[in-house]
Amino acid sequence: MGPAPVPFTPRRHGLGAAGWAGVLLLGVLASAAVLAPLVSPHNPEEIVADPFLTPGRAHLLGTNDIGQDILSELIYGARISLTIGFVAAALAIGIGTTVGIVAGFFGGWAEAVLMRTVDLVLVIPFLPLMILLAAYLGPSYWNIIIVIGVLVWARPARVIRSQVLLVKSLDYVEAARALGGRPVRVMVRHVLPAVLPIALAQFILAASNAILIEASLAFLGLGDPTAKSWGMVLYYAQVRNAFLSGAWVWWVLPPGLLITAATLGFAFTGFALEERLNPRMRGGRGC
Amino acid sequence: MRDSTVWRFLAGRGAQYLLVLALTVALNFVLPRMMPGSPLVFLAGEDVGFLDAEQRAQLYALYGLDQPQWKQFLTYVGNLARGELGYSFQRGRPIAEIIGERLPWTMLLVGLSLVVATLLGTALGAMAAWRRGSALDLGTLGVAMFFESVPSFWLGMIFIAVFAAGLGWLPIFGAVTAGQTFAGWALLVDRARHLVLPLATLTLITTPGTLLITRYSMLSVLGEQYIATARAKGVHEQAVLRRHAMRNAFLPVATVFMLNLGFVASGATVVETVFSYPGVGRLLYEAVLNRDYPVLQGTFLIITVSVIAANIASDLLYPLIDPRVRRR
Repeated sequence: MGPAPVPFTPRRHGLGAAGWAGVLLLGVLASAAVLAPLVSPHNPEEIVADPFLTPGRAHLLGTNDIGQDILSELIYGARISLTIGFVAAALAIGIGTTVGIVAGFFGGWAEAVLMRTVDLVLVIPFLPLMILLAAYLGPSYWNIIIVIGVLVWARPARVIRSQVLLVKSLDYVEAARALGGRPVRVMVRHVLPAVLPIALAQFILAASNAILIEASLAFLGLGDPTAKSWGMVLYYAQVRNAFLSGAWVWWVLPPGLLITAATLGFAFTGFALEERLNPRMRGGRGC
Repeated sequence: MRDSTVWRFLAGRGAQYLLVLALTVALNFVLPRMMPGSPLVFLAGEDVGFLDAEQRAQLYALYGLDQPQWKQFLTYVGNLARGELGYSFQRGRPIAEIIGERLPWTMLLVGLSLVVATLLGTALGAMAAWRRGSALDLGTLGVAMFFESVPSFWLGMIFIAVFAAGLGWLPIFGAVTAGQTFAGWALLVDRARHLVLPLATLTLITTPGTLLITRYSMLSVLGEQYIATARAKGVHEQAVLRRHAMRNAFLPVATVFMLNLGFVASGATVVETVFSYPGVGRLLYEAVLNRDYPVLQGTFLIITVSVIAANIASDLLYPLIDPRVRRR
């Protein structure tokens, strides 16, 4: 080992390089999703050429097993994947923030019950449970969002609760309570605003998680066949054994890289935000 | 370990695990019964559509569906307690037998991957923290973040495309070469060759979690006063790292190791599916594919029980590595 490391705390301006890289990645992917009808060369659902075409000028990433343009599928897939990530994360953070605030603010038995529930949810192997639920509920867009949302809230709840405990002891909250403010009013007017930045960072990390989970569920055949996400593209590629032929280079590689880019984009942004907003809490991924 | 605090802690954890188990069982009981349509389909699988009225009536009686709900529940729990997970009509075999066949493969894959990922993650994490801010640290962090964000099944597909289908170095799927009988050394080599790619995939996606926590934990330990004291005493740098810093930095790693178990179980499901590795995770996928609900339930139950068992094991081991838990 080399010389002793000098302990230092780097000064941070804004989000840092990684944070901005994350924002940039997300920006590019989100633009593609929003502008899909403009930038996409073909209609992704239309059969525009022979199946299994190799990349060429007309079809930059070739065509799939039924002759749809893969590049267009991926551009439109951004809409599905990012939306599922966003909405599922919003649901998870909604639950997590409520649980975290109520537990942290009220303490006592409410806290005990809620936090034991959090511990409980964290022990359950989440993907097998999601598979079970998704298999029973059936493959639909909203079912996937709900299943991810109701299982990813536990870690954010824990982080938010510890922030509430910090905020609760601050003078202005104590003053509000001493003045006889109703608990709900104090929670919503005084505690919630103080917790929101942390909740935002947790939301972004949860979104990163949700995109990865959606891809896994889609790959296992539990995705919505009418809403083709990046994970679904990979599912069809797997079913058609694309990875056993040369087709993997344009059919398997790009969707996986896009999922990675989206996950990384969210993760970088989330970590940077979290570090900036609360240097004491640099939590792990909720996965 | 004789201290009462430890026992109270363990009792608390035990109650929690019992609750998880109870919830799992309750979920397995309620889900098929609250689905629209005949619960028989969701209990016995879609093949019941091919049965005639008399056979259906027999099945109805077998599952006790003619009895009140609470009685059905008691029968269900009683069967589980006796280790009876039910019967797969699709496969024509008891579920416990099917799972028993699959379990060793998953334990081999998951066990090895946990060991390798923990060793690799702690070593690299400690190294990165020791050289904080260096190119080595940033490079390690970057690679770790990448593998943390990669879909595991996709990584597996790429590995198959490159190393199995492309270069032909390793087998494409399964855990054994079909139609071949090996013995001794050749058998071992065959199993190992099939294990390489699934193991590499699972390990690569599990390592970053351990690595990032070790690095963070190591960084906070390195800022402690006793590290500065050790250095001031003139303790050799290597000794500071090994004896003073790493020991304490590894404590949170043990906690993460536990949290990782659920993650690894999830990862194994996906990885086994990609490689058609005949483990419990692959069984779960096959059950979803065939809508074989009894197998789906049994597999979910077994996976949960395994994760709980592993958690209990690490709970019991934790006081041995952290003396503070014993004394407090």
